[in-house]
Amino acid sequence: MSEKKRRGVGGKIILALTLLFFYFPIFYIILFSFNDSRSLTKFSGFSLRWYEKMFADSTMMEAVFYTVAIALIATLVSTVVGTVTAIGLSKSSRVLTAFVERVNDLPVMNPDIVTAISLLMFFSVLSVRKGFLTMLLAHIMFCIPYVMLSVTPKLRSLDPNLIDAAMDLGATPLQALTRVIVPQIRPGIVSGALIAFTMSFDDFVISYFTTGNGVNNISILVYTMSKRVNPSINALSTIVILLITVTLGIVNIVPILRERKGKKKS
Amino acid sequence: MKQFRSMTYPYVLWISVMIVAPMLLIVLYAFTTSGNDVLTFQFTLENFKRFVTDSVFLAVLWRSLYIAVVTTVICILLGYPIAYAIAQLGDRGNTIMILLITMPTWVNMLVRTYAWMGILQDEGVLNGFLGLLGIGPVPMIHTSFAVILGMVYNFIPFMILQIHTSLAKMDKNLLDAANDLGADPAHAFLRVTLPLSLPGVISGITLVFLPAVSSFFIPKLLGGGQYVLVGNIIESQFLTSGDWNFGSAISMIMAIIIMISMYLTRKADVSVASNGKE
Amino acid sequence: MKKTIVLALTALLLTLALAGCGKSGKASESDAVAKYGSSVLKIYLPGEYVGEHLISNFEKQFGVKVIVENFDSNEMMYTKLQAGDSYDVLIPSDYMIERLIAGDYLQKLDKDLLTNLGNLDEAVIGLDYDPDGTWSVPYFWGSVGLVYNHDKVDPAVVEAQGWSVLRNTDYAGRIYIYDSERDSFMMAFKALGYSMNTDKTDEINAAYEWLREMNNTMAPIYVTDEVIDNMMNGYMDIAVVYSGDATVILDENEDMSFFMPNEGTNIWCDAMVVPKNAENPKLAHEFINYVLTYDASFDNSETVGYASPNAQVLKEMSTQEDLYAENEAYLPRSGYEKDEMFHDNIVLQRELSRLWIRVKAEK
Repeated sequence: MSEKKRRGVGGKIILALTLLFFYFPIFYIILFSFNDSRSLTKFSGFSLRWYEKMFADSTMMEAVFYTVAIALIATLVSTVVGTVTAIGLSKSSRVLTAFVERVNDLPVMNPDIVTAISLLMFFSVLSVRKGFLTMLLAHIMFCIPYVMLSVTPKLRSLDPNLIDAAMDLGATPLQALTRVIVPQIRPGIVSGALIAFTMSFDDFVISYFTTGNGVNNISILVYTMSKRVNPSINALSTIVILLITVTLGIVNIVPILRERKGKKKS
Repeated sequence: MKQFRSMTYPYVLWISVMIVAPMLLIVLYAFTTSGNDVLTFQFTLENFKRFVTDSVFLAVLWRSLYIAVVTTVICILLGYPIAYAIAQLGDRGNTIMILLITMPTWVNMLVRTYAWMGILQDEGVLNGFLGLLGIGPVPMIHTSFAVILGMVYNFIPFMILQIHTSLAKMDKNLLDAANDLGADPAHAFLRVTLPLSLPGVISGITLVFLPAVSSFFIPKLLGGGQYVLVGNIIESQFLTSGDWNFGSAISMIMAIIIMISMYLTRKADVSVASNGKE
Repeated sequence: MKKTIVLALTALLLTLALAGCGKSGKASESDAVAKYGSSVLKIYLPGEYVGEHLISNFEKQFGVKVIVENFDSNEMMYTKLQAGDSYDVLIPSDYMIERLIAGDYLQKLDKDLLTNLGNLDEAVIGLDYDPDGTWSVPYFWGSVGLVYNHDKVDPAVVEAQGWSVLRNTDYAGRIYIYDSERDSFMMAFKALGYSMNTDKTDEINAAYEWLREMNNTMAPIYVTDEVIDNMMNGYMDIAVVYSGDATVILDENEDMSFFMPNEGTNIWCDAMVVPKNAENPKLAHEFINYVLTYDASFDNSETVGYASPNAQVLKEMSTQEDLYAENEAYLPRSGYEKDEMFHDNIVLQRELSRLWIRVKAEK
């Protein structure tokens, strides 16, 4: 018993330190977004001027919208396609699996600039007008491999007999898919979706060279405005953090509230 | 099973168009030199020779690989215990922790790196804290320490996510069985948990090592520009020199090296997995 | 499943709400369409390079919408142009304009539409890359120089040593060098008394050795844009900075001074051009003409800090007390025979690029 307790405390300490490490720069950014001066080391006074600047700048707000929209759509599409394909691959020939996995490695491994230039010239050769759609396609392209990289290990640890058993008991392939396989690999799907979202949200180089028509995302703004608008970028990041926290808060609290209501009724 | 196989076809078509075709353009660039029109290209190994015969470039490639390996190893050593600790929490704890770990990555990498630059300055917060303890300002910015710190900070969430995925919902029955058979916790971990979590570790290595080799932005900012990495060279070929041929050749060389390393790593995974199953 | 959908929808709604916060009012477009054929103008210029109100004022005055795209470097812009992207106005640098002219990317300007050309200052007329102003209209001009902390570095030393102060081991570990082969080789060439456009092998090698020694003895920190904030905070004592950025630094940090070395430096000019594949050349000309007005030029120069091409604004900025009169970084030198402008030489640039990697990669 005491050993379990010890492990429990040790685990809690590790987690606390981890959160401290992860969030120290984040709180730093939030703090300095309220800094009266531009300094990133000396806090000279509380001020909302960077927020004022940011809200007055419609390009920043538009960029937030595009970033979130593309990230959400790309994550959704790539999670579905990636999971379906990964499941299909687990039942496919080794040659096909090897081919797909090697090709999937390419966008992960190549420097962003290489992927970006390859797509730039590819779209150019096809005379495709660049804008929201091309940027979205590019994001989907590089997100799917991350989903598959997350789902495949979980698939490998699945008991192959489960599917056969399900089908023997009269399940259709679709039912076997949704009722048996997917629940088992859910952690892989979730982590794949999270990683895909991250990769899309933070992307600069590929987005820069596959977009057009004034469609920007947050990363493009940050990188091309790194000279003097730093504090406004911190303000922007703080707003993004707020957005995310509120959204996740809502999503997590609602089920808890529902539970309580349910308990009250019974 | 046939129905499952056909689920792959749409994606295979997609990658042929969206990944393979553009990459073939890069391969074409790598084997030609500028001044070639599409119809009259001559194949040459000139670009590859230029890179491989230059000791400075090779040193740069070596340094990139070294930083990537160090980053990956630290991510595993730190990431595994963290993922393990998370996996011990209940369902809700798991979800919350995973989200908490992932959220910082949604803040732009440049912004987070600038934050670290401010924190690590001689006049920064960390040195301020050390000053309170009576320790003189320790130079932290523009050192290897800063570079590795920045790289690990950027990549470790992916490692944690991948390892955690393997550990979560791990068949508890297996651990109980091991217990019943008389294994102590340490043994149970080494013989049951660790091998079963290996696919997650390998996947984590893929997600960290691959992009780390071509990373250059974080080392540039936190290392003070003294870190010339292969990613810098490739990007400068494409964006500054306009020498797409040379840039393509270098990325192909880098890609081959990475693919070989991943092949060996994955082979290790397969053999361990098959040993573990016995 | 439900959870994820709720999550996604909430996020989308929240961002839509926020995006709505930033939208500015729309002006009448039909007049613009009638006059120019389209009410949309696409401009492509460096980031943070335009006055605070310039774009919105232009949009309101002419009833049009301006789509702004930014580039980090001239080469990045050139890459996108090569792929066939279309813009109405570009704002590249002198040497890049040479390359664009040679590559047939630009269209000749219709001077009848540019009624404000008379506002241009003498210093920016007749520049090498476009002597008759056939293709371009100056936008900003400036110099490259040394920003140094005059409390920690004796101004007399800086003035005596010029670029060589960057090899003065008294300041080892206290300097920032711009991570650009173009600017760094420029310093070395000037310090050695050569032309910065030289393609003579022995001169290039001499410059390479100059830089190598600097790298090996001075432990410089190679930076890009973060140098501005860093020098504002006084983290280091000497830095190589562009004049407009220096103006901002000097404004915020009283301890800093600016100096253009006597050995000569790069005096450069960024100018507005209209690409051949512009979809709205008429509106492009209107925009260029607008930038030349007093109000727009003032806004530009005051916000960004670079020297204005508008004669009146230039004079006011550099002589009025409440503007940049006290700021020695604002007004670039002109007519000094040792100062030069870059010419476009891609072979030379590749060679310098290769050598620069070696300079930095040495440990």
